[in-house]
Amino acid sequence: MTLLVGLGLSFLGLAALCLSMARHHQAVWPGPPDRQRVLALRAAGWVLIALSLVAAIRLDGWNFGPVDWLGSLIGAGLVLIVVQSYRPRALLWMVPAAAAVAVAAALGSLA
Amino acid sequence: MKQGFRQSMAWMHTWSGLVVGWVLFAVFVTGTASYYRAEISRWMQPELRREAAITPETLAASADLAVAHLQAHAGGARMWFVTLPTPERPLVELFWRNRPGTPPGHVLLDPQSGAPAEMRATRGGDFFYRFHFELNLPPLWGRWIVGICAMVMLVALVSGIVTHRRIFSDFFTLRRDKAAQRGWLDAHNVSGVLALPFHLMITYTGVVTLAIMYMPWGVTAAYRGDQQAFFAETGQVTRNRPPAGEPGTLAPVGPMVAKALATIPEPLERLSILNPRDANSTVVAVFEEPHGLSHQHPQVAFAGTSGTVVEVLSGGLRPAAKTFTTMVGLHEAHFAGAALRGLFFLCGLLGCAMVGSGLVLWTVARLPKSGVAAGFGWRLVHTLNLGTIAGLPAGIAAYLLANRLLPLDLAGRAEREVWVFFGAWIAVAVAGAWPAPRRAWRGALALVAALFVAVVLADVATARALWDDPAWFLGFDAALLALAAGFASISYKVARFAAPRRARRAADAPAAAPQMGRA
Repeated sequence: MTLLVGLGLSFLGLAALCLSMARHHQAVWPGPPDRQRVLALRAAGWVLIALSLVAAIRLDGWNFGPVDWLGSLIGAGLVLIVVQSYRPRALLWMVPAAAAVAVAAALGSLA
Repeated sequence: MKQGFRQSMAWMHTWSGLVVGWVLFAVFVTGTASYYRAEISRWMQPELRREAAITPETLAASADLAVAHLQAHAGGARMWFVTLPTPERPLVELFWRNRPGTPPGHVLLDPQSGAPAEMRATRGGDFFYRFHFELNLPPLWGRWIVGICAMVMLVALVSGIVTHRRIFSDFFTLRRDKAAQRGWLDAHNVSGVLALPFHLMITYTGVVTLAIMYMPWGVTAAYRGDQQAFFAETGQVTRNRPPAGEPGTLAPVGPMVAKALATIPEPLERLSILNPRDANSTVVAVFEEPHGLSHQHPQVAFAGTSGTVVEVLSGGLRPAAKTFTTMVGLHEAHFAGAALRGLFFLCGLLGCAMVGSGLVLWTVARLPKSGVAAGFGWRLVHTLNLGTIAGLPAGIAAYLLANRLLPLDLAGRAEREVWVFFGAWIAVAVAGAWPAPRRAWRGALALVAALFVAVVLADVATARALWDDPAWFLGFDAALLALAAGFASISYKVARFAAPRRARRAADAPAAAPQMGRA
């Protein structure tokens, strides 16, 4: 469960950071992002990644939390890089899907 | 220094990585496979029947049965090791060390009958595990070679981080529409940077695992080289009890097992019996690790002749020893459940990809110009690359295939499987020296894919009747098919790859010239 929460949140965070870069932004939407959008995406990215670390430590403690967090960050990163390299526009449905997975897994582990 | 710092580091990264890359690739591949060591062993002995639970009475009876067998067949041995049955592996495994210079003994017993178990002889997943740090060489040689390569790997990792000037801006970049060199560099960067925490952790903790061997001077000075005394004083093993030199009789071990089980709540893993026929014999019950990052087996030691408890080790390590056992625990990842283990496995694959793509990148960056014959150095690296990157997976597939196809009653069967492993590896490496590099890559990778498919076919054809859990075996076979599909798609891509038009026109200019591959 923790891993699903971590995977979902890190995927969202990494996707936001990725889309804040002109090259990757252009692969999904026409044109590079404006300054405001870059800052918003970057802030969202780092906040989500921090949130995934907080969630992992809250759910699994200080021993296993960081290990689970790094594992899920790397796993989510690999999925993201492969997707944005082969099918960048698939991010448009994968981002909401990742959010749904993270929320469902978080609710599941609280219940 | 005439060059800049970054150029020096780039030089360092290129050459340190190349020199140890082939050994590292083998270490990464077998290490990654070792995350599923128990599963590989189970697949390689389909005769095994699992059981729902093992009662304490069965454990005690199995221990008595094991000692009776060892008294009859290994009375002169210095040490006996008894692995007790578990639900996953309901067998009694005996291992004994004879006088130095004579080979150790090994047998698998059926805990019900006490007779040797009806299993095909194989080294199973343990072969990959030992190969990972000993390369199937004499242990001392293998561990030194792997250790030195791992230390150089740390150098390559750190110099690689310095060399890579766009870690953040290229973090998500995997370009497939540019020249081959660009694509390989992106693949090398992504696999290296993305899993960098894993690479640093696994390399560093790998060296730490054998640190006492690589840097024995502290123990030499403080304990006169007595490593056992060091491990005992730091609370990692029970205290050594030297033999008295007088004969003694071992008390029944069944009651000792019962007492040990009452002391420690973890599953009992094995018994070590030291100097079994001495008046000062010792029986140590070794338990599985409690759930945690630290690799630390609780132990209960008994005086062998009386059966009284002489020492209980359970937790309570001091910070330095705890740091060491935590690093070993992180390296082995025994704590990881199925999902986290999958992520560790994925990171291991990224490590293989990093080392492999780095090796290939060396040759791609130095491709001889069209019409110019490749130099000896380029050909050597290319041949070793192909021999390692395609040869080792071919060896693994052949090893699994031999497990299903060699006659079950073949003498020395377990060793023959290992011969097949090296035979297939060497054959692919030799064939890889084929003069057309691209065709050699394509053929070798297609062969690896075909071998993995053959393993699945052989499994279904010869072992289907033996499967105790068909879904589990089909799952393992599906994983092998996924590997086959991976190798087949790489082979296809090698065959189909066309450099972007600009680069290709330059390469095609002298039409009669032999075409060099761009794999």
